[in-house]
Amino acid sequence: MYGFQGTLVRTKPKPVSPKLTRSFRRRAKRELLSPSALLPPHPHPTDGMAPPAPNPPKSSSPSQPSGKSEVTDLKLQLRQLAGSIAPGSDDSRRELFKKVISFMTVGIDVSAAFSEMVMCSATSDVVLKKMCYLYVCNYARSNPDLALLTINFLQKDCRDEDPMIRGLALRSLSSLRVANLVEYLVAPLTSGLRDSSPYVRMVAAIGVLKLYHISPSTCLDSDFPAMLKSLMLNDPDAQVVANCMSSLQEIWNLEAGNLEEVSREREALLSKQVVYYLLNRIREFNEWAQCLVLELASKYIPSDSNEIFDIMNLLEDRLQHANSAVVLATIKLFLFLTMSMADVHQQVYERIKAPLLTLVSSGGPEQSFAVLSHLHLLVMRAPILFSSDYKHFYCQYSEPSYVKKLKLEMLTSIANESNTYEIVTELCEYVANVDVSISRESIRAIGKIALQQYDVNAIVDRLLQFLEMEKDYVTAETLVLVKDLLRKYPQWSHDCIAVVGNISSKNVQEPKGKAALIWMLGEYSNDMLDAPYILESLLENWDEEHAPEVRLHLLTATMKCFFKRPPEAQKALGAALAAGLADSHQDVHDRALFYYRLLQYDVSVAERLVNPPKQAVSVFADTQSSEIKDRIFEEFNSLSVLYQQPAYMFTDKEHRGPFEFAEELGSLSLDPDTVENVIPVQSYGSSDNDLLLGSFEKEDGRAVANNDSAYSAPGYSTSLIPDADFLNLTTPSIPSQPSSVLVDLLGLGTPDTPPPPALKLNPKGVLDPGSFQRKWGQLTTTVSQELALNPQGVAALAAPQALLRHMQGRSIQCIASGGQPPNLKFFFFAQRDGETSSFFLVECLINTSSAKAQIKIKTEDPSLSEPFSALFQSALTELSPS
Amino acid sequence: MAGAVSALFLLDIKGRVLVWRDYRGDVSAVQAERFFTKLLEQEVDPDLHDPVVYDNGVTYMFIQHNNVFLMTAARQNCNAASIFLFLHRVVDVFKHYFEELEEESLRDNFVVVYELLDEMMDFGYPQYTEAKILSEFIKTDAYRMEVTQRPPMAVTNAVSWRSEGIKYKKNEVFLDVVESVNILVNTNGQIIRSDVVGALKMRTYLSGMPECKLGLNDRVLLEAQGRSTKGKAIDLDDIKFHQCVRLARFENDRTISFIPPDGSFDLMTYRLSTQVKPLIWVEAQVERHSRSRIELLVKARSQFKIYSKLHNCSTATNVEIEIPVPSDATNPNIRTSMGSASYAPEKDALVWKVKSFPGGKEYMVRAEFSLPSITAEESAPDKKAPVRVKFEIPYFTVSGIQVRYLKIIEKSGYQALPWVRYITMAGEYELRLM
Repeated sequence: MYGFQGTLVRTKPKPVSPKLTRSFRRRAKRELLSPSALLPPHPHPTDGMAPPAPNPPKSSSPSQPSGKSEVTDLKLQLRQLAGSIAPGSDDSRRELFKKVISFMTVGIDVSAAFSEMVMCSATSDVVLKKMCYLYVCNYARSNPDLALLTINFLQKDCRDEDPMIRGLALRSLSSLRVANLVEYLVAPLTSGLRDSSPYVRMVAAIGVLKLYHISPSTCLDSDFPAMLKSLMLNDPDAQVVANCMSSLQEIWNLEAGNLEEVSREREALLSKQVVYYLLNRIREFNEWAQCLVLELASKYIPSDSNEIFDIMNLLEDRLQHANSAVVLATIKLFLFLTMSMADVHQQVYERIKAPLLTLVSSGGPEQSFAVLSHLHLLVMRAPILFSSDYKHFYCQYSEPSYVKKLKLEMLTSIANESNTYEIVTELCEYVANVDVSISRESIRAIGKIALQQYDVNAIVDRLLQFLEMEKDYVTAETLVLVKDLLRKYPQWSHDCIAVVGNISSKNVQEPKGKAALIWMLGEYSNDMLDAPYILESLLENWDEEHAPEVRLHLLTATMKCFFKRPPEAQKALGAALAAGLADSHQDVHDRALFYYRLLQYDVSVAERLVNPPKQAVSVFADTQSSEIKDRIFEEFNSLSVLYQQPAYMFTDKEHRGPFEFAEELGSLSLDPDTVENVIPVQSYGSSDNDLLLGSFEKEDGRAVANNDSAYSAPGYSTSLIPDADFLNLTTPSIPSQPSSVLVDLLGLGTPDTPPPPALKLNPKGVLDPGSFQRKWGQLTTTVSQELALNPQGVAALAAPQALLRHMQGRSIQCIASGGQPPNLKFFFFAQRDGETSSFFLVECLINTSSAKAQIKIKTEDPSLSEPFSALFQSALTELSPS
Repeated sequence: MAGAVSALFLLDIKGRVLVWRDYRGDVSAVQAERFFTKLLEQEVDPDLHDPVVYDNGVTYMFIQHNNVFLMTAARQNCNAASIFLFLHRVVDVFKHYFEELEEESLRDNFVVVYELLDEMMDFGYPQYTEAKILSEFIKTDAYRMEVTQRPPMAVTNAVSWRSEGIKYKKNEVFLDVVESVNILVNTNGQIIRSDVVGALKMRTYLSGMPECKLGLNDRVLLEAQGRSTKGKAIDLDDIKFHQCVRLARFENDRTISFIPPDGSFDLMTYRLSTQVKPLIWVEAQVERHSRSRIELLVKARSQFKIYSKLHNCSTATNVEIEIPVPSDATNPNIRTSMGSASYAPEKDALVWKVKSFPGGKEYMVRAEFSLPSITAEESAPDKKAPVRVKFEIPYFTVSGIQVRYLKIIEKSGYQALPWVRYITMAGEYELRLM
């Protein structure tokens, strides 16, 4: 196969002479630019800067040696050479060692040669030592007893006079990962941290972290964190500082218990002194360490706006760094710093625009992918930002699909009145031109833009043209979209139905498209002459229809059709119910049975249920709660943004990154009650549940599909009550507080006030932002609730300061606020007046357009959370314009 | 998020592990290999899946280079942008050492690979990634020469990208100004988007610790100095610099000053989003005669000036125009007025090459293909590809950027020779047909 030519076993490795090797060295490629023959040649320097060329030992083996005999043979040769000090013996050893490493790499177990390797390692040759260390580290974990053999020489090498060897030995020693050898690690690490060579200190700093992972107690008991901290603040070498920082962050993060001391240490890392020290030195760090520093700084909470501007001025030049990770880290820092200063925040968006656009087109496609994911997140928060730069997101023919997909998402998100025409025109190009998956995505993108209410007229025309392209997948996707559009804009039904009516159901194979077509047949039976007959012919092929989704729709559509054109559809309905009752799929069977019994019970009730008066859907449900989106934003510049999921959804607890903030959000957000902050949608009727849940989340596999129970039972059980539909209209989505909702609906604006609080708060409570953040991270949420605000309160919120003053009057202090109307976010705290003086922390999200507030309360004394919650809610609902 | 990587894998084209370095011991090679081979089997085209994939608590991020995949596995929430960049740096470093990174060069160099992986990353945190600095640590390749016993210099001095004590007999600097033109023209012949991405690529062969200063005809700078900027100054949209450039200095007075790394690097990149006139314009007429014959008439016109300031005669070289043809075309019959054209069935395209294309000229190619008279009922959807153009124009820049001076000052006072060269080339240059 590859690589090793010649024979594997040689009795005597022949050292190759140095001269020979050098002359075989491959010559470095000289032409920097295109190898154009027509260009006048550059004067080139003569040799000299050729990279250290590879000169593979063309010695060894057929690629898959059987193993045993070769290993035995190697052992023998190593043993012969072990004590030799003859000239050239190091070369022979090198050859042998290389062979061992090669074997190891291709997966042959050479651990049998352990003792021989260790014997040969008594040498001053760095190369030999390196290979030996590599070998030892590789086998130590599986052979702890043998590993003990190596401790001695590794420890000795840690005291070698060559700093290179000291560093390497220390790295190997700390990488052994054998629990019962940690005692031998403490002393070398301690002296390593004090070593005169920065290389050794750099290795030792990470070594401490390695030790921590083997034995946390040993690491903490030996007081290593304190040593790291002082090194971090005093070492002249930037890489040493960076490694100390990495280690400390990880250690304190993993220690994140409730220990007072640990949280103090964590906080200390974010203190003004440390952050300023690191930021002032940022230019000395290499690019990776700069990312670390910037990341750390983004957790820092400045005390006033002067500080914010100082930091931003200091770091503005980082936006010009060639490393996209540094630029993104800087952007994160800027955005986080200015969170509470709306106008500056906007300026930051303007400032980061150009660097971001450059990043999209520079670097490999993978980097574009990462950057585009971040851009998408930003655009969701500030859609206007890139609206005039939409051309940057046009797809290029040769780009990989994953980049194209993100670009389509970007185009969808930035479409507005001014650019829709151009964007849709471009998207139409993709429908006809490029590969199938992008073509599908493009159609969906066009649909999403249409649902955003821009230039619908032209878009509908175009969609209908797609149907004439007669490509199966285009038709199917388009049908799904036409269906969604009709639900939102019933006024287009005439145009659409005329075209859709011409499509033969035989030409639509994909379940989703077919289901959409059938839905339209049922819904618009009156406008489509052939509807009952088409349904009838579809029902004849019931058994060949594999997708239960299609069969469900067929049932419902036939029902609808029956109520609209009874004489013509009666036969079809009978066939549908019979086929449905005999169906092996549970949902299909149940629905058929339900219809059957409903018809038996009362035909008029059945009609009201299946064919209620149509009302347009105003907004399709968004699958991700704003809380999750905020959470993802908090984790800017990490995988969370790429997955569109907060970290807790894809990492184990012990692998969470440093300084994870408010972890318990995770469990909360998964709770179906909180996810359901769906904007109240007026429904067509329970039989349309599957359509009601919005078309987006079904397509979007990456989204957090909690609503996947499209055909779930509860929908039907409630429908058994004749008035279910009516109820469904009046109490959307907030089952927990029906009274307040009803009151609100009636527009009386006098919410029921909870009983007077028995809790007394300290009017002069004090808490600094750092402690707030720490406490917020430690405590768990005791109360999480959504409540309605009265209209006067909402009006008062036009000036958020009003709320702050109002709450202050009730001894509740605001510590941070932000967001832009209609979404405002506040953090409050209060302190109990009394001997225990425990704190209450509140996160309050207010949506002024829907007049809702979501509050989350954390407290140090869970027994007081109920009274405090009542107090807070009453305070909030009493808000009115002063 | 400063998450650490658990392991780094180098895999062959089928997804089998060639070499891997286990940094944290919390992912297994077997698991990773099984996952990745499965992923590759699922999709024939590696373009189709995202470069970030999640499986069972582990995030895999990978890039491909030649026939090798470089992949990281991580359990923490890492900084994705940084890791991709890191993987690309790993490729650069390997290329520096092995000339080219491919399966065979890895198999030939296991030991160096391990050494490099060890120095570039420790316990999942990136360390040094500059090839020149790494050569301080990497001993194996130099094993025939005297192993220099000095401590690693780089870490002890403030300039982390350059080591001390570099010596050349002849001190030279090569500076290439490379601009690539991206353009997209729609079926109506309108330019939908165009931009220019420029790079100043440098190769330095300089002794000691040289201080370099670069002067460009940058409008902001010239105006600040109160000089006339008429006609010769340019506006650059977004400039990015190599880490050696003193960014603060540039912010203050727009001076580009730096101590360069040794060898080649990109000193600066910039972008120009002004509308660019297409340098080479292509028009193609496609006529389908009956069902069995298709005729193409393609005209290409060079729209740049014959005489430029930098050089007296501008000529595009190595022009290559790719015109898509139906995938079932046969029997090509091609005539050209210049250059050579041939049918490339593997690209479903007619490829027309013109070695030298002077400014202000127009050339033509005529081609005729046969089509099978019977086509499959359900033929694959037509992927209408655009016309794609490649070219190079030496001694010419679209932006008009000019290097006014490149000063090199070193304390030993040697004279260094700067060589400057300009070139414009096609980037993503696409014209949509009909």
